[in-house]
Amino acid sequence: MLDEQDQPETAEAQQEVRRTLLEAQTRRHFLRSLGGGLGTLFMGTLAAKYAPPAFAAGPYSETALDFTRDASNPLSVLPPQFAAKARRVIYLHMAGAPSQLELFEHKPELTRLDGQDCPASFLAGKRFAFINGVPKLLGSQYPFHQTGQSGQWISDRLPHLEKHIDDLCIIKSMRTDQFNHAPAQLLVHTGNARLGYASFGSWVLYGLGTENQNLPGFIVLLSGGKTPDGGKQLWGSGFLPSVYQGVQCRSHGEPVLYLENPPSVSRPLRRSMLDVIDEINKQTYAEFGNPETVTRIAQYELAFRMQMEATDAMDVRKEPGSVRARYASKPGEASFANNCLVARRLAERGVRFIQLYHWGWDSHGSAANEALNIGFVKRCREVDQPIAALLDDLKQRGLLEDTLVIWGGEFGRTSMRENRGGQQMKFVGRDHNPGAFTIWLAGAGVKPGITHGETDDMGYEIVKDPVEVRDLHATMLYLLGFDHHKLNYRFQGLQQKLTSVKPARVVGEILA
Amino acid sequence: MTPALRRWSQRTRFALLVLTPILLLSILVIAFPPDGTQRAQWAQFIGRFHPIAVHLPIAFILLVPVLELAGRNSRFAYLRPSADFVLGLATVGAVIAASLGWCLARSGGYSGPLLTQHMWSGVWLATLCLLCWVLRERLTSRHGEFLYSIALSITVGLMTWTGYRGGQLSQGEDHLTEFMPAGLRKLLMLSVDTKIASPPSADTFYGARIHPIFAEHCFTCHGPEKHKSNLRLDSYPSLMRGGKHGAVIRAGNVPSSELFRRITLPATDDDYMPKENKQPLSADEVKLIQLWITAGASATLPLQAIKDAPVPTTAVAEVTFENIDFAAVAKERVGLAPAIAQLQKRFPNLLDYESRGSADLTLNASLLGEKFEDTDLASLAPVADHIVIADFSRTAITDHSAEAIAAMRRLRSLRLVHTKITDATVHSLTGLDQLESLNIFGTRTTPAVLPIVASLPKLRHLYAGETTIRADSPLPAALKGKVLF
Repeated sequence: MLDEQDQPETAEAQQEVRRTLLEAQTRRHFLRSLGGGLGTLFMGTLAAKYAPPAFAAGPYSETALDFTRDASNPLSVLPPQFAAKARRVIYLHMAGAPSQLELFEHKPELTRLDGQDCPASFLAGKRFAFINGVPKLLGSQYPFHQTGQSGQWISDRLPHLEKHIDDLCIIKSMRTDQFNHAPAQLLVHTGNARLGYASFGSWVLYGLGTENQNLPGFIVLLSGGKTPDGGKQLWGSGFLPSVYQGVQCRSHGEPVLYLENPPSVSRPLRRSMLDVIDEINKQTYAEFGNPETVTRIAQYELAFRMQMEATDAMDVRKEPGSVRARYASKPGEASFANNCLVARRLAERGVRFIQLYHWGWDSHGSAANEALNIGFVKRCREVDQPIAALLDDLKQRGLLEDTLVIWGGEFGRTSMRENRGGQQMKFVGRDHNPGAFTIWLAGAGVKPGITHGETDDMGYEIVKDPVEVRDLHATMLYLLGFDHHKLNYRFQGLQQKLTSVKPARVVGEILA
Repeated sequence: MTPALRRWSQRTRFALLVLTPILLLSILVIAFPPDGTQRAQWAQFIGRFHPIAVHLPIAFILLVPVLELAGRNSRFAYLRPSADFVLGLATVGAVIAASLGWCLARSGGYSGPLLTQHMWSGVWLATLCLLCWVLRERLTSRHGEFLYSIALSITVGLMTWTGYRGGQLSQGEDHLTEFMPAGLRKLLMLSVDTKIASPPSADTFYGARIHPIFAEHCFTCHGPEKHKSNLRLDSYPSLMRGGKHGAVIRAGNVPSSELFRRITLPATDDDYMPKENKQPLSADEVKLIQLWITAGASATLPLQAIKDAPVPTTAVAEVTFENIDFAAVAKERVGLAPAIAQLQKRFPNLLDYESRGSADLTLNASLLGEKFEDTDLASLAPVADHIVIADFSRTAITDHSAEAIAAMRRLRSLRLVHTKITDATVHSLTGLDQLESLNIFGTRTTPAVLPIVASLPKLRHLYAGETTIRADSPLPAALKGKVLF
């Protein structure tokens, strides 16, 4: 290699250098490059043979769409790839993994075998978080009935949601490959069980931008209790520019701390301060070109605009008492009910991705709060009425037409009663089951009133139409107007995608 | 040692020694041909090494002409003598490989013309190798060299042929040509379609429903190439003839049909079919075979004759993604672009194309609230034709905008939530024949608009909550089930 200083100037000199280089090449160099070259050729043929069809010159190529935006407005709206059914998403994540066998999975055969030893075939080759030895089968703790015109089964724990059964598309054959909370939550949110990948909401914001520039395009609300095990990475932007990460708003008190101007600082004064700061930041950006500087400018500006709108949007007191009563919302509390009401207000205000978390669904039976017969009952009560009211409102206001609502946890629960340490436990609970879980979708472009997929008589393994997490992601992106291959971002030499590297399938069966 | 034997060279004596197993092998092949019976014996265990053992003689045989030819050049003359040794090794290797091959064929449950051919060509190959080796001694004479090179060429040719047939045996008849590009196929005068000719008629139940099941699950072992247990399922006569244990299908008698018994055994049973690593039959396929046998296992039974046969599940069409023709899109947008650029400056992030592949527009004025007035709406006139989704919720528009909204003739979705519009605006919408969703939630509209809305041909949803329209208002028949409160 030649240094720049040594760069010969005339054509003649360049020729001379080339000749010298050629002369310096020995037989060894030649043979070495020959071997490497042959190997490369061979690998090339292999790649052509084993690459997924998308990679070869197939019906579509693996290139990204153009997502370049004006540096001063990284959140500006971009049209989707094709006409979309869904324009926004409300994702209700039940951290801890609610038991499908107590809510949607009606398994009379399991109830009949309640208390019997679990068959060995259930345990062979399986890993459990806590189950030891031979556990007992555990029938559903609550009675089931069919309801609605669609005649779908539901337990008696969700009496309000039940009225919307004909709006729900219930997928009973979800599958994951993670059996611990944090990685499983990461997988559901980012398409990958490890840290550092972009969350679903970030991808959507990156792909579509946001209409309402006075509010974050991706808002996260926790309903008190504990932060999900997966941590803030669940709404992180990973390798995407950090301007696309979710903004976690506080669920009680001021939604965003220090958003108000301090006493004696007026709004015009704040504005002129920001103008100067922006000017400096822009100079920095021109000098170093770090996209994080753009994020910083955008965040200052967003905060300034949010002073006007965020407080208003997040204030459930602005809703009439009758509406709050339908949600069972009590202003001032950090509750899922309040968050559902806020979610509706944010949806009306054009927020692209609204992520709600509820917690405490990890019903192992190791403590009262984690027992299927105690804590679980409370959890159901906390979410049932607010979700039903949210669906009511969205439907009534026509928002369900272009809003995709998703409800679900990170995996399922076992058909066996948990026996931590091989002992019968004081409370009734179930261990983690990554092999089958239930989620539901509602709204934009989803076939209402259907059940997709099926598990065996024990509700333990999928027997029909398995849906991998990546399939779900591909389907949701499809509803938002994207081919999951095309919504990608080049990082570490790979076109990174929400669906990651394994082939994902859009679940056509559930599309309206 | 007799004097006669002593007269022969050492080489000839060795050749005779090698010839013995070859002759022995030939006798074995004639006396004990592979009969499709599987035997769990030492022979099978040893025979399984046949596919491994064949590669050694193949490499050696190929190496011989290379050494001979290279050795003609004086620079590589030293290579030539080693050809002799390599040829000797090749001979021994070929004899061993052929013997193992017989073990495998005899005990592994193989039979069929392809196998017989492969086996004999193996035996001949070993013989030819030996011949070459003997001939090589007489290289010094001109005559000898000529004979040797002929013999060597035939050996290499036969080896290629034997190897190819062996490949067909283990990998399938078209293992080399399966993925050959159509152009090359034509050049080699191979049929472009490699499917077996004349499948049974698709009008019969056997042809349409039963034969394809066998084709998918059974033909690899019980088809044209291999007939394990002397059973072939690729034609109706051979199916009914059965295998070496007799008939596998007894018309009308499901329980005594061996084939049915085998496919319904537990998968762990030794007799279960298809064998391990092969895709088992689905419940529907088993059901089809059962119904067919019950109905008499006829080849001519019409397709529709069995009423309750499981219908082949029609899979939902996989979702495909079309590529956007960006040039075409740009062309479509060209007249529109300046007006849109101007409007986008005025309403940033609120007006945009519906997708990357279309010139249709979506508009969300609701985020401007009271700041969006009738005059703003009027300014959209140049692009009105292209707006397919419009949201004017909570804006300050009034009935003055009725005409401008009616001009958006291609609207699919119109939202007027919490606006000051009244019945007059709705009355002007009669021309919106693409409208699927109309949202007048929280407006002062009255039940008088219902007949107008009912006349919209594509309407699917009318959102009429918080208006004077009540859930119990009398609804026109066309709106039944479409009004949400």
